[in-house]
Amino acid sequence: MRRGSIAAPLILIAIGALFLIHEISPVFPIADMVGQYWPYLLILWGVLQVVEISVRALRGRALPVSGISAGGWFLVVLICFAGFATYEVRRPDNWWRRVGFEPGIEVFGQEHQYQINSVQKTVGNAPHIVIETFRGDAKITGNEGTDVVLNGHKIIRTMDPREAERADQKTPVDVVVQGNTVTIRCNQSAPDSKGTITTDLDLSVPKDASIEATGMAGDFDVSSISGDVDISSQNSGVRLTDIGGNVKVDTRRSDLVRCTNIRGAVDLRGHGSDVELEKIAGQVTINGDYDGTLSLRELARPVRVQDIRTEIDAEQVPGEIRLDRGSLNAQNLIGPVKVNAHATDITLDGFNNGLELTADKSDIELRPARLPLAKMMVHTRSGNIEVALPETATFALTASTDHGEIENEFGEALKQHAQGPGARLEGAIGTGPELTLTTDRGSITVRKSSGEEPEAKESDVANRGEQVRLEAISIRPR
Amino acid sequence: MNRRALFAQAIRGPILLITIGVLFAIHQAGVINFSRTWPLIIIMIGILKLIERLLMPTSPVRGPLP
Repeated sequence: MRRGSIAAPLILIAIGALFLIHEISPVFPIADMVGQYWPYLLILWGVLQVVEISVRALRGRALPVSGISAGGWFLVVLICFAGFATYEVRRPDNWWRRVGFEPGIEVFGQEHQYQINSVQKTVGNAPHIVIETFRGDAKITGNEGTDVVLNGHKIIRTMDPREAERADQKTPVDVVVQGNTVTIRCNQSAPDSKGTITTDLDLSVPKDASIEATGMAGDFDVSSISGDVDISSQNSGVRLTDIGGNVKVDTRRSDLVRCTNIRGAVDLRGHGSDVELEKIAGQVTINGDYDGTLSLRELARPVRVQDIRTEIDAEQVPGEIRLDRGSLNAQNLIGPVKVNAHATDITLDGFNNGLELTADKSDIELRPARLPLAKMMVHTRSGNIEVALPETATFALTASTDHGEIENEFGEALKQHAQGPGARLEGAIGTGPELTLTTDRGSITVRKSSGEEPEAKESDVANRGEQVRLEAISIRPR
Repeated sequence: MNRRALFAQAIRGPILLITIGVLFAIHQAGVINFSRTWPLIIIMIGILKLIERLLMPTSPVRGPLP
């Protein structure tokens, strides 16, 4: 009998090993790894087969009719399905979540609703509120008094109504006061309670409170709190309005994080979709993987965005930064601005104090608008660069493209020469900062921002900057 | 069929598998979507068939080429 291929047993061992790792250490993010790297399994298999067949051919042994049998192809299709499935499941925004198939097992059984007994406790002026891990929505608002008031309801889904009754009794919502700390416990993981329990909380707390909450699934809605707010959740929409302290939001999955009017710093991390920040007086740090639209407006302190695909740094954002899949648009920034992007078209309108921009596969459009100009270093691996400079600007320009043309509206002062299939434009107008524009493949256009219209726009941009800065100061901590 | 043609035929499956794997890996890395690169698989099949045909001895009925 001819010996079978070596690849099939190896693939089986690899798949078996994955499941074994999962059994031994369940925390190991195996699904993440499979979802990310399964194509390499196919490549590995292919390479193994090529090597094996080559060795056989060299040794003059019998060759198989085809390198991968029908059964092998069947396994390939299975791996593709499994790989795509795990990948899709890990994504925060996929089609079945959008059509509402998400609840999964919760489709079964019946829903029972129970009211939570209202709790009111006097806790002092500035308590620290801790909400322990729970499933459900939480709405938290600040009040003028010194009391914590808790209302809400539970939704319990079970196959058997008597089970629901029992589950309700086993999962009371406790409010424990210990010195300055108020702990709210939903007791959802009470032993042997069957079914899924969702506890929706409506909480009113003294407005100087600080909040620390952990959620499994459910939305957080926090408003009018002057202390710090710290939220971490597996799956959650987060809306924060009028917060006095620092804000920290850590989500494993999220459809929206919206922060409006925050006096402290904002720190977002984790995975999610849309992010909307508006009127933030403190520093903004975003670190993670947000695949929706990122919208940042009226930020009075430095901002640092470190997304998987894009990095942005700016000193202040009186205007707006908007990052979508494939495009970055910003108006009215105070620099120095730093951008590092991948396959994202970039338009920057009105910025000062210098720019450092690196990108690949990105078209770039820059209109600094404000004078005097500052140093700019712009590089894209492939894409067009277009820069519009005010007519009265002074600068020293070096622009070069390896494949493409350069168009120059500033006339003879800038000298152009061909450079293989590319071109190079060099020269200075007055004495000014260095502007370096390079693209490996693409055209470069150096324009005069022309006519009256852009000039009006220019002053408009500047004015808006002043206005917002004043506003930003007015929302600084008291 | 000579040995080289047999070899080309045997290696066709694995090469295709590697192509598919690479395309999916590129898709997963978010560089180029698979929906834009799939025709490469057909092109690959074509190229492999062509190589196989070139290595195949011409049929004895028509006789050897001059």
